[in-house]
Amino acid sequence: MQNTERISIRLVVNGARSDISVKPSATLLEVLREDLGLTGTKEGCGVGECGACTVLMEGEPVNACLVLAVEADGKHVETIEGLSDGDVLHPIQQAFVEMGGMQCGFCTPGMILSAKALLDENKSPDEEEIRKALEGNFCRCTGYTKIIASVRDAALRMRK
Amino acid sequence: MPVFYRRLPPFHYVSPRTIEEAVLFLASHAGESKPMAGGTDLIPNLKRRELAAPNYIVDLKGVEELAGLSWHPQEGLQIGALATIRSISRFPEIRRLYPSLVQAALSMASPQVRNRGTFVGNICSGIPSADSAPALLSLNAELSLRSSRAERTLPLTRFFIGPGETALQPDEIVTALRIPEAAERCVYLKLSPRHSMDMAITGVAAAVTKSRNGYSDVRIALGAVAPVPMRAVRAEAVFKDRPISKDAIEEAAKAARAECRPIDDYRASAAYRRDMVYVLTRRALEQVLVP
Amino acid sequence: MDEYAVIGKRLPRVDAKEKVLGRARYAADYSLPGMLWCKVLRAPHAHARILNIDASRAERLPGVKGIVTGKDFGGWTWGFMANTRDEPPLAYDKVRYLNEAVAAVAAVDEETAEEACELIEVDYDELPGVFDPEEAMRPGAPVIHEYRPNNVSLEYHYDFGNVRGAFEESYLVREDRFKTGRVTKGYLEPPASLAYYDPAGSITVWPAKQSPYFHYRHLAACFRLPLSKIRIVQPFIGGGFGGTKNDSVAGDFCAVLLSKKTGKPVKFVYSQEEELSVSKRRHPVILYNKMGVTRDGVLTAIETRAVADLGGYTSISPLSLYLVGFATPIPYKLPNYKFDIWGVFTNNPMSAAMRGHGITHSRFACEIQMEMMAEELGIDPVEMRMRNGIDPPEAGGIYRTINDITFKTCGFKEALKAAAEDPVWAERGRRPGKIGPVSYGVGISGTAYLGGARQLGHQSCGAVVRICEDGTVNLLTGATDCGQGSDTVLCMIAAEELGVRLESIDIKRVDTAYTPVDPGSYGSRVTILAGQATQRAARDARRQLIESAASAWKVEPGELDIRGGFLFLKSNPGKRIPFEKLAKMACYEGSGAVIIGRGYSGYGIEPMDFNTGHGNGGTSYSFTAQTVRLGVDMETGKTEVSDFTIAHDCGRPLHPISVETQNEGGAVQGMGQAIYEEFIMDKGVTRNNTFLDYKMPRSTDVPKIRVIDIITDDPDGPFGAKEASEGSIVSSPPAVISALHDATGIWFKEQPVTPEKIVKALKDAGKWGSS
Repeated sequence: MQNTERISIRLVVNGARSDISVKPSATLLEVLREDLGLTGTKEGCGVGECGACTVLMEGEPVNACLVLAVEADGKHVETIEGLSDGDVLHPIQQAFVEMGGMQCGFCTPGMILSAKALLDENKSPDEEEIRKALEGNFCRCTGYTKIIASVRDAALRMRK
Repeated sequence: MPVFYRRLPPFHYVSPRTIEEAVLFLASHAGESKPMAGGTDLIPNLKRRELAAPNYIVDLKGVEELAGLSWHPQEGLQIGALATIRSISRFPEIRRLYPSLVQAALSMASPQVRNRGTFVGNICSGIPSADSAPALLSLNAELSLRSSRAERTLPLTRFFIGPGETALQPDEIVTALRIPEAAERCVYLKLSPRHSMDMAITGVAAAVTKSRNGYSDVRIALGAVAPVPMRAVRAEAVFKDRPISKDAIEEAAKAARAECRPIDDYRASAAYRRDMVYVLTRRALEQVLVP
Repeated sequence: MDEYAVIGKRLPRVDAKEKVLGRARYAADYSLPGMLWCKVLRAPHAHARILNIDASRAERLPGVKGIVTGKDFGGWTWGFMANTRDEPPLAYDKVRYLNEAVAAVAAVDEETAEEACELIEVDYDELPGVFDPEEAMRPGAPVIHEYRPNNVSLEYHYDFGNVRGAFEESYLVREDRFKTGRVTKGYLEPPASLAYYDPAGSITVWPAKQSPYFHYRHLAACFRLPLSKIRIVQPFIGGGFGGTKNDSVAGDFCAVLLSKKTGKPVKFVYSQEEELSVSKRRHPVILYNKMGVTRDGVLTAIETRAVADLGGYTSISPLSLYLVGFATPIPYKLPNYKFDIWGVFTNNPMSAAMRGHGITHSRFACEIQMEMMAEELGIDPVEMRMRNGIDPPEAGGIYRTINDITFKTCGFKEALKAAAEDPVWAERGRRPGKIGPVSYGVGISGTAYLGGARQLGHQSCGAVVRICEDGTVNLLTGATDCGQGSDTVLCMIAAEELGVRLESIDIKRVDTAYTPVDPGSYGSRVTILAGQATQRAARDARRQLIESAASAWKVEPGELDIRGGFLFLKSNPGKRIPFEKLAKMACYEGSGAVIIGRGYSGYGIEPMDFNTGHGNGGTSYSFTAQTVRLGVDMETGKTEVSDFTIAHDCGRPLHPISVETQNEGGAVQGMGQAIYEEFIMDKGVTRNNTFLDYKMPRSTDVPKIRVIDIITDDPDGPFGAKEASEGSIVSSPPAVISALHDATGIWFKEQPVTPEKIVKALKDAGKWGSS
């Protein structure tokens, strides 16, 4: 079939409203990256197994590759680009910088958003809880050690 | 396959607001439409072209009647089709009365997937290793199904037909899972090589209630070790009119091993899965049965 | 460490902020106006002749702008050595592994390109395939490349000393068969690139490459353009680990050719399943290892016979196979050594470089075998290693192995001591051996890895330090940071040499139009070679600045110093100006001066021979001792690794955060190799080509990791540095397997040791639960 159908949707991404016209088969990930130019959210596997495409939808972490853009109509979506206040880093971002919670950085946006979802709900997670909250975010470079340390440090910063 | 796809195939999208609307659409577009809830199963399958692309995806998330998650002392637990895995894992009555469902939920995939995926979607996939299935089977879950033709109720034990095949008709949707009665103790054990993001190599759920003659009513269900998630009825029979004992547990575990029907596949051999049925059944029973 | 102002400090990575903001752009994040999408069509057979390709239906699909097949590359092939150029960009006469690329389409969007691929009709004549290297060597096996009728692409035979005599005189001799599994790099970012072929005769590409200069040479050769017309502009790279991103893939060549044909920029992005199905992965190697020791456990000889599965093409195997064999004489003293290896074609996906390249196979076999002998002789495993370990050379001295590996520093014994004194090993007797069904075990390994690889071909690199008139500094090198942290280290080196703060240095991403050539990020060479070049370039710029100031202040250059961001008179430090002012002064002198410092690596090449195994594969060697604590569920075989302690001699950690993370990440990758990861092949079909089923460690799988730095200050490395990239991926698998033996009593000789294999072994040994 020719893919000519278009559906008008309204996305609220990082607080900014976007009225766009999308194909039914377009995923939220594709629309964020290609229609809205927000390339901070990455595609690692496209099938929900790696978490590189994690965004917060209505505050909950989801894989944007598994969400159709039309399903996100009217929803609040937060991507990595929305976390900082201009150039002022969010405490979680600050923690990752100080503690060295990244190497290649490809998993980093997803990791940080998953961490945010955890810390917004649980101000003092223990190590088990941090690991469990990140189980959907794959990292090949770091062995997770400094990522876990960054989240712990972020929790401290956010409690201040 | 000669092409590795990154994009979904084209389809139309419809978003009904009521069950009526949804089932009428499925009926009038029989064979070319597919219902979707969380999409965590459907979208990867479509992307991989494992599923022929339907002309219509029917998004059920706008149907409020399907969104419930509730418990009543008389009616028991009702899990609506749209109840996400995460919401199930956090529901106070489930945590209190059906902890094996929480164990199953938290063993599934990732927080991201649990925020979207549903138990109903998981069982409708019909995969033998579906993590929600053993616990639901052991709790005597029932399904409510609706089509434009009829409403029906089906015990979960009759829902699974073969790998990837369920009793769900193409014009039908599951509206809810019902678990009328709580167990006194229940558990779900999942075995896989890693600690996250694995399909079960073997899954065993056990639930026990005191039956009227004072002995235990034991239900044991197995996942990933047969063409369908199954109840281990011969293992369960070991406890009929018999006091709990270490020997009985051992006998039941061996019976479960004998009655499961695993295959060799690239994830594990049948022999290993059978042995693991023995181990996990024994452990599950040790956890739920107190002599 | 206080002697340095920047080196050795726990400073954030220079690219950390960009990454946490989501502003770092990777290849797939780039777009150009009018851009087309490229999709690759792959073969459904592992071994087949291509009879005909009919793309006519695809060409007629609206939105399709160009299609290429193997023939369009004119028979061009490439390879690591002049006599192994057997790899084409797209298969043209035969396909030699399942999913080998046979055609590519450029279209207005990716959906159209995917649809067009479905419409291309390819006629194949399927051929019998062979999937096991030992089978492929036998007469009568299907011939994969005409130029190698026995399927052996290459073989090496090394012979040092007198192994036969040594075995005859040994107290104990063991022979064992070991096997390493099929594992892959597993980076999160799939291969991708955006390419533009300018009709005026130049190519610009934004590719995900960890060694862009390889790619630039490939493109120049393939498209018959001068190197000066090939421009690789490097994005951020989402992980490298050797293999695919060191090379060029079908999508790379096709995107450029399609851009040439259509006049438009063309982009391709592989899917992760595509990558897992066709990536160049570590060679699976079978090793027949023979080892002899004296009554006291001192090594007398090692003889290794190895067979490596190359897959469908030779690729970098000439180097890989050399690396399997050449380093066996370290980290233990070895007087007699024989090594024979055959690299054999099969109809499996290609094998190539991967972190821990080559050495990981032989080190695994020798470590486990040595532990087995220690057990037989009743010698403590640490003591066994101490008796055999190479001692640190005297200051100014050099240690030389029987095959002419040389090095000036060796912290091996110090690392062993540190690992043995660490609680994971030292307190192992005081912790429970068994709790419920879980049996605990502690293991140890001692390993070495090369750094500063410069084996063949172009191995030099350069750096340029540009002093801007306001005192800020631009650093240009061709060295690639694919995540390991080299950008940060090079900036630190420049800052330390110039006497300024790290924040003053801005490193430019590699752009082959402007940055000096660099071989690439492999063989743990960047800190050492590009580091030396950077050091020299910074010194050159510093010299010019000081000369200018000396002239202005009318003193000798030797009387001045730059430190902490200030130029000052050594004899009167109060007389000082900030670096910014110094730069302004120097740059505006007279009609103005352009202060550019240049430096080159000066390591040169020593005589080294792949065929005989003589010579140095690297400029220096790291040494690692690692301990592992884990628990094995003796009924299910499921393993939980709880602790790693890694004592690593990297000379001196220049950027401690990166050195630790390299060790942590490498060790976890090695753990994956040891117990979780393998491609399950079925007649050339990769059964598990997803993250679900190719099981790499997740956050809930990893142990607590402690890294101990062993400082040996190598005189040949900038600021004493040696490699800190690959040591821990080599040390991890033998340490894990040693721990598995401690927990289960079983010696596992094949990786990975999965739960099912543990249960089977326990059953065979009569140690598994009830029946």
